[in-house]
Amino acid sequence: MDEIAVVGIDCAFPGATGTEAYWTLLMSGGDVIGPVPGQRWDPADFPGTPDSGGFLADADAFDADFFSVVPRDAAAMDPHHRLLLHCAWRALENSGRAPGELAGSDTGVFVGVMGGEWGRLTVGGHGRMTPQHGAGSSAGMAANRISYHFDFTGPSLAVDTACSSSLVAVHLAAGALRAGECDTALAGGVNVQLSPALGEVYAQMGLAARDGRCKPFGASADGIGRGDGVGLVVLRRLGDAIADGQRIYAVLRGSAVNQDGRSNGITAPNRWSQQRVIDAAYRRAGVAPADVRFLEAHGTGTALGDAIECAALGTVHGVERAEPCAIGSVKGNLGHTEGAAGIASLIKTALALHHGIVPASRYADQENPQLRLAARGLRLLKSPLRLPPGESVAGVSSFGMGGTNAHAVLATAPRTRGPGRRPARARGERTAGFGVFTLSADTPEALARNLAAQAEAVARRPRGRATGLCWSSNLVKTGLPYRFAVAARDSAGLTDELRAAAAGEGHEPHRPWRAPVVALLFTGQGAEFPGMTAGLYRDSHTYRQHLDEADKAIAPHLGLSVRELVLGGDERVLEPRYAHPASFAVGWALAATLGSLGVRPAGVLGHSAGEYAAAVHAGALELDEAARLVVRRAELMARLPDTGGMLAVGLGAEEIGRRRDEAGDAWRDVTLAVVNGPHDTVLSGPRDTLRGLAERFAAQGVRTRLLAAARAFHSPDVAPVAAELRTEPVACNRPVVPYASTRYGRLLGEEPLDAAYWAGQAERPVLFDDALGALVATAAPTHLIEVGPRPQLLPLAGRTGRVAGLDLLHPAHGPDAAGRELAELVAALYRGGLDPVWEALYAPEERVSEPLRPYEFATGHRFWDRQAGPGEPAAAPVTRPDDDPGAAGSEGDEPPDEVLAAVTAAVAEVGGHAREKVVRGARFYEDLGFDSVMIMQLKDRVEHRLPQAGEVSVQELLPALRSVGSLADFLSGLVMANTR
Amino acid sequence: MGPSTAATAYIAATGTALPGDPVDNATLGKALGVSEEWIDLFVGTRSRHFGWDLATGEVRSTLADLCAEAGAQAMDAAGLEPSDIGFVVLATATPDALLPTTATVVADMLGLDHLPVLQLQSGCSGAVQALDVGRAMLTAGRGAGLLLGGDVTNRFIARRGNAARLPSEELVNQVLFGDGAGAAVLAADPAAEGVAVRGVLNRCTGQGRAPGQFLDWYGVSDRHTERRLLAEDYKAIEEHVPVISGEILWELLGSLGWSASDVDYLLPPQLSGRMTARITERLPAPAVGEVSCVTETGNTGNALPFLQLDLLLPRLEAGQRALAVTVESSKWIRAGFALEKV
Repeated sequence: MDEIAVVGIDCAFPGATGTEAYWTLLMSGGDVIGPVPGQRWDPADFPGTPDSGGFLADADAFDADFFSVVPRDAAAMDPHHRLLLHCAWRALENSGRAPGELAGSDTGVFVGVMGGEWGRLTVGGHGRMTPQHGAGSSAGMAANRISYHFDFTGPSLAVDTACSSSLVAVHLAAGALRAGECDTALAGGVNVQLSPALGEVYAQMGLAARDGRCKPFGASADGIGRGDGVGLVVLRRLGDAIADGQRIYAVLRGSAVNQDGRSNGITAPNRWSQQRVIDAAYRRAGVAPADVRFLEAHGTGTALGDAIECAALGTVHGVERAEPCAIGSVKGNLGHTEGAAGIASLIKTALALHHGIVPASRYADQENPQLRLAARGLRLLKSPLRLPPGESVAGVSSFGMGGTNAHAVLATAPRTRGPGRRPARARGERTAGFGVFTLSADTPEALARNLAAQAEAVARRPRGRATGLCWSSNLVKTGLPYRFAVAARDSAGLTDELRAAAAGEGHEPHRPWRAPVVALLFTGQGAEFPGMTAGLYRDSHTYRQHLDEADKAIAPHLGLSVRELVLGGDERVLEPRYAHPASFAVGWALAATLGSLGVRPAGVLGHSAGEYAAAVHAGALELDEAARLVVRRAELMARLPDTGGMLAVGLGAEEIGRRRDEAGDAWRDVTLAVVNGPHDTVLSGPRDTLRGLAERFAAQGVRTRLLAAARAFHSPDVAPVAAELRTEPVACNRPVVPYASTRYGRLLGEEPLDAAYWAGQAERPVLFDDALGALVATAAPTHLIEVGPRPQLLPLAGRTGRVAGLDLLHPAHGPDAAGRELAELVAALYRGGLDPVWEALYAPEERVSEPLRPYEFATGHRFWDRQAGPGEPAAAPVTRPDDDPGAAGSEGDEPPDEVLAAVTAAVAEVGGHAREKVVRGARFYEDLGFDSVMIMQLKDRVEHRLPQAGEVSVQELLPALRSVGSLADFLSGLVMANTR
Repeated sequence: MGPSTAATAYIAATGTALPGDPVDNATLGKALGVSEEWIDLFVGTRSRHFGWDLATGEVRSTLADLCAEAGAQAMDAAGLEPSDIGFVVLATATPDALLPTTATVVADMLGLDHLPVLQLQSGCSGAVQALDVGRAMLTAGRGAGLLLGGDVTNRFIARRGNAARLPSEELVNQVLFGDGAGAAVLAADPAAEGVAVRGVLNRCTGQGRAPGQFLDWYGVSDRHTERRLLAEDYKAIEEHVPVISGEILWELLGSLGWSASDVDYLLPPQLSGRMTARITERLPAPAVGEVSCVTETGNTGNALPFLQLDLLLPRLEAGQRALAVTVESSKWIRAGFALEKV
């Protein structure tokens, strides 16, 4: 039988919200039984039923906004369903994947839930039914709602086999996985005591514990105490889980379900069928009873139930064995969680295997001697059992009142993590890569709340590298509208960043509405320096790969390794012969790195020599062809007389022209070589002449800077080079992205990037300013990224006045730039809406899955009105001050509008929204969570409130249903027309 | 009673933690009011790390923080989960508190529960003592063990005091030490790094000998005492440690039947840059090289052999052997171990 891996867990039990808290409760042997809360019922009204039990404190809390459930639906929705939605999200996160990533997948949902108490309580006869209550109260919807909200298309079913429901659900989920019906399954169950009804039933049958506590296998066991709970596990086929690198808590070896048939009364437990279901499960799992180290028993603590179960267990396990089989039952801590009982047991068992220790069973110290456990090869766990190294096998039993029994066999997860591959450390040097820690949430408040939760969780970890946390956060914590991202290397630094962000310091929550539009600016010559990008080469495996690729393309033409030249700190990168190939290699590799990270440029611009790398990334030149041309051009340039130079001047082109006309001879052989901006130009000419000009400019208060260029580029000096380049055939294609040409100072049209282009490009002025204007106008970028070894074009672009409001980014800020700068760039792009290819940021050995604190839902909204029906205003949810939802942008300055007021009232009535949320701009589907049923109801309410609009057909209404405002406008038109 | 050579234990992985950026001699000299040249010349240590702020004294890394960081790193490198660890042995001279032991606090931080957690009060020999105890527990079937060693100076270095006026046997201590922790995972099979522990020597030889090193602590009743907190008989150390080191080396070799030329790497005592040089002068040169860290880390006490191990493991190739020697001059404990990569 294929093994099934438990890869994700989430649960909430009384006094223990979350898996960690549950484990702490179990290990501390805690008792969560308490008095019946006032919200549930008054025990005084139900004499004979216990006045205590296990109750979830937050059974009424629901983050309706997160799931886009309108308040009226939320109020009508069975609390069982609401708890499951939270639990499903967190369990999927715990499995190492962003729940949104699974949308559209065939993920299956199998939920155990008992009865339909909510329906009985809320749908009290004719006239009280609403579509919301109809959908809200059906037990079958428990699973379907998860499938709907998460967009899962695999099998989706609620299972009701009474108290064995949730273990049967796990059994069915495993079967569906093995049958290939789904690749991932959520399985578990939920139980909320909405009324004392079942307690009364137990009491009448003589099965209710007087103190509301289950005392499994205890001498004082006197019956069942009831408990709330919700728990889901994420299951995968073991091979898939391993292939996807998921953390595995335990494996499900096999399971079985049977029925006791026509037994001793429909509700009576049956020893023989219990034996048979365990035998069947062991057979399927391929284990012998002697292999089973411990058992999580059904153990409700009824005298008869305990006796029958122990007899059955004894028959199976009382074989020749090295040690007795340890048994226990979580019902001693939680009470009997009924629909969630099986999953409480399964999660306890999976966690025990994961932690290598089995919690003690509460009340074991008062073991019932009549059960003769020792004689039956059993041992009730009076203290925690530390499991030996290696594999342990465990069983889980769950029996239903109607005779449907289930048993599951679990085992220790196989070791999937090899020894961590630490980067080899040079002596005394601690190198650790940078990652990007991401977090997302549905509102800014939720983001702050989750930042605080993550900060607290990271702070509790031992300090260390943060790359595993970052990588995991990229997989799990992305996909919601408001985004946070920060570059991080170690956990201590990350904690500080998260704390600061949670406190609102420095990090604005970003809600990008679309992917960023990125234009790339390729730096030309002059930015190169010995050792450029060496830090990045050390830290980024992606940049390493691309610079190696560039080196391979250039080496045959240049005759040496440009990579060694660049990284080795060789001064020759400053010489004309090598400067251009070196900067080409770096520029191309940086842009290729961005490409690997998922950046698709909407336009490119290359400044002068930077055009070659730009042309490759625009698809106009092949890398090899560009490498050949670059080396050829550098060779030719190197042959030019080295008496030429270049002078940057803080004046515009016109002003340069005017002064040159006036000055005459002093400007002999000086040409305008580059127009970088309205106050940034570069002159080319004899270096001596330029020096003279520089002095003269200085006297006039004009800033100048003699550039390092050893030639008078972009001047008539270059004519011999241009002539040679004109004869050099060029294999070129049409660019596939907008290409801003600094040769023409505009977007490239039909002109090919052929020999003539590159020749002209070498001797004609560089029209950066105009080209940039064309790029910004055409590509409409949101982000400008300069690709070069240090920022050169970004400051110039800033001074042109053309890039106001754009994000200007650089992957390498200069000599010290390394992995941090690249990570910061990726963080900025993620905040700006990019969904990066995260693999490119992390070396394979850094892609380690670490558990992260699950999502913290808002607990401000409370829904617990079991009397809601039609007619009266929707049960207004109670909002607690700790989590104000925040009005969706107030637009209350407009003059009072009767139609708008009617629409607002109708919407609020149908959806049960707070009035302040129903503003003109609120969109029906995205913001208000409307669906087709609600549209029909809205039509009714609108017609009722606005009789002057007349009857409106749904077809007429639909186009107007963009927002509250658009509907009001449409209806105003009708009212006007009808009253004219 | 030769060095123990019981059933084989293996070092699966190591981890280290050195807090913050290195503090160079100029910075330390300025903070303590002593000359940088003096540190260079007489101590020979170039830098060290402190888990507390030299200017304010604020403690940023406790010993538990450092040990947990190193321990997590070692477990990660060994590919082990908390449930795989069967016991913990932590060696230190400077626990964060007397109770709970730092070892138990670290176990909590690492998610280790329901297992033996021991703490050894020790100095430079602590790592070897932990190895000795750990090897015994491992071979007794306790499962894989996490060995930890570390020390912190925040209680013992006189911040901004006029250290220059201290007697030199105390002054030397102010510049000798640094904070740090190291860890090693000990396993019963050659997992991960797969370095076999071939021999361990661990022996107190202080009978009738005055302590060479002294570290006091004060409580409620004696906190205003004039007793020195930290003192060192550096003359005795200079005289005896090189000799004892040689004896340890020869004893380990003899017990294993190895000759000096069988040793590829030597991990010598790490008192200070100067002392280490003086000791190794007298020892036979290893075939490949010496593994030392004290000039960069300062004397980190119980962490030192772990830091050396951490440097050694990536270099050690199959079939190569290494020998570690350490002398704890407090009560003259001789310690050392012999490794072989399988």
